[in-house]
Amino acid sequence: MAFHFQQALRALILLAFCGLIFYLHYTGDITKYINPKYIPLSKSASILFLFLFFIQITRIWSSKKEGESHGQHAGGACCHHVDDHDCSHHHDHGDTPFTVKKLFSYSIIIFPLLTGFYLPAATLDASIADKKGGLAVLGNKNNVNSNQADSTSVDENDDMEDYSIRDSLEDFEDSAEQEPPLYEEEQEVSKEEFEHLKKGLYSSSVIKMDDFVFSLYYEEISKDIERFKGRQIEFQGFVYKEEGLSSNQLVISRFLITHCVADASMIGFLSELEEAPELYENMWVKVKGVIDTATYNGTEMPLIKITGWEEIDEPFIPYLYPINVRIL
Amino acid sequence: MPIGIPASILNLNVIFISILIEALPFVLIGVFIAGFIQIFITEEHIRRWIPKNKAAAVVMGCTVGALFPACECGIVPIIRRLISKGVPVYAAIGFMLTGPLINPIVIVSTYMAFGNDLKMAGLRMGLGFLIAIIIAFIVSIIFRSNHLKDSVQVIHHHSYVKKRSLIEQIWSMLTHSIDEFFDMAKYLIIGAFLASIVQVFMPAKAFLQIADDPVISLVIMMGFAYILSLCSEADAFIGASFSSIFPRPSILGFLIFGPMIDFKNSIMMLSVFRLKFVLGVLVLTASVVFITILLFQNII
Repeated sequence: MAFHFQQALRALILLAFCGLIFYLHYTGDITKYINPKYIPLSKSASILFLFLFFIQITRIWSSKKEGESHGQHAGGACCHHVDDHDCSHHHDHGDTPFTVKKLFSYSIIIFPLLTGFYLPAATLDASIADKKGGLAVLGNKNNVNSNQADSTSVDENDDMEDYSIRDSLEDFEDSAEQEPPLYEEEQEVSKEEFEHLKKGLYSSSVIKMDDFVFSLYYEEISKDIERFKGRQIEFQGFVYKEEGLSSNQLVISRFLITHCVADASMIGFLSELEEAPELYENMWVKVKGVIDTATYNGTEMPLIKITGWEEIDEPFIPYLYPINVRIL
Repeated sequence: MPIGIPASILNLNVIFISILIEALPFVLIGVFIAGFIQIFITEEHIRRWIPKNKAAAVVMGCTVGALFPACECGIVPIIRRLISKGVPVYAAIGFMLTGPLINPIVIVSTYMAFGNDLKMAGLRMGLGFLIAIIIAFIVSIIFRSNHLKDSVQVIHHHSYVKKRSLIEQIWSMLTHSIDEFFDMAKYLIIGAFLASIVQVFMPAKAFLQIADDPVISLVIMMGFAYILSLCSEADAFIGASFSSIFPRPSILGFLIFGPMIDFKNSIMMLSVFRLKFVLGVLVLTASVVFITILLFQNII
């Protein structure tokens, strides 16, 4: 029996990918990377890696005879050997000698495994909001409908009741301190439920933006600010400031994740309060206020006059995800 | 928690890992399909299926791509295997351009992202398809010689695949998928890493001030599409978020150019083609998208 170092290394790497994905799911950190909607898909990737690992294990040891035929392969006589490869392709099977170039290739593949395991899952913060365009991209959500419909999903969600408007009108205090929501549930609602959610926005006395409805309400409000002027609103987010804001202004923002944090887009409200200088960037706050309008760079946008605020811990799931409306 | 690592590095890492986590399932699907092609599809099949006529082959490549729901991470291993099986490069390029751009999820998400506006989704698919055909056709004319990397050469021989039992074939399909994964992973990782560097360190804000001119705005939006390397199924919402800053034609440029070719994807293409060819296709795609959008800007 001959031991093949590279085949063993490859097996180890496959196992490590499986392990990394599993680890992120296990710790719950996965929601800091991707939209929970893709959790099942990501889990299947982990299982596939495990499956490939078992297949790869069989290649670590080989009998002497096979070892020789691999030698032939490297020697270019591959068309005649009876090994399992035909030779219309010459990619690396992990049988050729281990060179510096290969060391480099394997280092690249191992790199994300190391950083994924050892670096903590950061939450995107105000500096990213700034890079993404800051307030300038907030003014123009008028035409944006961030409700993604997934035509391929037809599964019924039995827990839809949990997402009823009753829930979103629950005491705001509760929703903030609640256990992390069942993030494995897809944020998916039927057309009627979606309309129902929207109605809640118009009929409730105070607009309470919990994480589930945040992006929906945010859009509705941005679309027709005048209609909401004077209404009371409660929401939470992190503090973002940028040049050009006056000293009593700041933006209370959230990131909306469609697939993964790489496609995060920032949403949030320009807010005004006297104590604004006391609020530092990236601080998480829960605020109450009254909706007003403001003009920024020629675009009309909502402005929240803050009437009360308190500092809170960063939520376990800091991001928002678009609500999916089933259209089938 | 390790102390002393700057926040920007942690942000970079989280974006980097998230791209990988999101892309890996699709890459795995891609390498399985590539493994399948390697073992079960022979050069003879390809010869029979692909039209001899160049134009017909180009149209066929683009149409198959439009019908085939792929994303840009999964498609590179597939075209790599197709080409090594004898699919002409221009047909494969057509397939690569339309695969991630035209599929049901992209259509629906674009439709929703632009406030249930069918026009943007329709233009994205229609113009995108036209552009893909033009590009693939030009590729068929100007790139005559071999542009494959040495490791992906087409070697014609009569395979002895048929002699093997199905179980052996499936086994070798799986081991091929593993090898394919290791060939592809390093390019994916480099691409994802560079794309996340851009996200963390490039101030998009600086470009937003100069957005009024139709030509400059189109250049900026296409540039964004390229360097952000977003998945085609997620980019509609990002594109839409630029709606009031940038004119519609430039948004459409963002939506069409991004899925066809982007930073991450061009690094991955280096696993198949020589650098010169990748750059050629990149410049060609950028120019054709740019010119087509400018020509059609009045109807957008």
